[in-house]
Amino acid sequence: MKKFDIELAVGLFMVAGIICLGYLTIKLGKMEVLGDKGYELQAVFANSGGLKNGSPVVIAGVEVGRVKHIALDDYEAKVVMNLPLDVKIQEDAIASIKTKGLIGEKFVEISVGGSERILEPGDLIRETEPAVDLEQLISNYVFGKL
Amino acid sequence: MSINLFRVSLFFFLTLVMALPSLAGQPMEQIRETTDKIISIVGDQALKSPEKAKERKRLIRQAVDERFDWEEMSRRSLARHWKRRTEDEKKEFIYFFGKLLERTYLEQVENYSGEKVLYLNETVDGKGFGDVRIKIITKQETEIPVRYKVKKNGDGWYVYDISVEGRSLINNYRKQFQRMSYKKLIKQLKAKVAQE
Repeated sequence: MKKFDIELAVGLFMVAGIICLGYLTIKLGKMEVLGDKGYELQAVFANSGGLKNGSPVVIAGVEVGRVKHIALDDYEAKVVMNLPLDVKIQEDAIASIKTKGLIGEKFVEISVGGSERILEPGDLIRETEPAVDLEQLISNYVFGKL
Repeated sequence: MSINLFRVSLFFFLTLVMALPSLAGQPMEQIRETTDKIISIVGDQALKSPEKAKERKRLIRQAVDERFDWEEMSRRSLARHWKRRTEDEKKEFIYFFGKLLERTYLEQVENYSGEKVLYLNETVDGKGFGDVRIKIITKQETEIPVRYKVKKNGDGWYVYDISVEGRSLINNYRKQFQRMSYKKLIKQLKAKVAQE
């Protein structure tokens, strides 16, 4: 009888451990379990500058969403972002790819517009600014000086 | 019956295909027209003398006005400020914002000295928006990519944003304008336009 209690305790402990591990995996891996809350918007950039799946989407410095998917579309980067339902984006909003610090990670910044028309799920943010190519700027400077 | 149907659909298909190129050719043609007009004004020897400077400026502004949608540019750069403005305030802002851009950019145009302009491509979506990509090649052979964002209004395509090296003009002003109240913003704008 006593032996059974110990086995039960160990079993429960193991189950608790596995649940914790699963929770950590989902949290740290930034995975979604119960489908995606929110909606998707697309934007096409001439240069994504190494943006990754899971990179933050920021409005006024506040992280509101994440990059869900990046693919090559007609030699440009097509980025799909996931935003919460209560964050409305106007159709004249501008999406830019920015860098944290000088050489930090890339993120998408949306500067909100003033249009009356709000983008629907799946719509395209028409105005975009690609990532700044530092090397290109340097070479422009160098050759511009010749 | 089915042959008839086939013929009819073929007819419609062909007219569509024939009609497409003429539709697609528009925005770039219109940008090219305006650019050529400005280059000819800048290159006009009769307008080079100092006493003709005002006249020259006026002609350039006139040519730009034909292709730029100042109201759309103002609306987009004011963004959230725009909704709260009265009609008079909007008109006032459009005037001063136009003046600011004129001062900042038309001076650049006047310094034009035979840079080459390459017309790369244009894209048009079904909703009346398009963009035209060009490249300016300076005398040092540096290439500057420029992208005009255009919106259709009637028969014409009107510019509402310009990106140089991927940086948008509207976003630049929008970010500056969002940092301050409208009162402060219009005061600074007027002061900037007034100083010569």
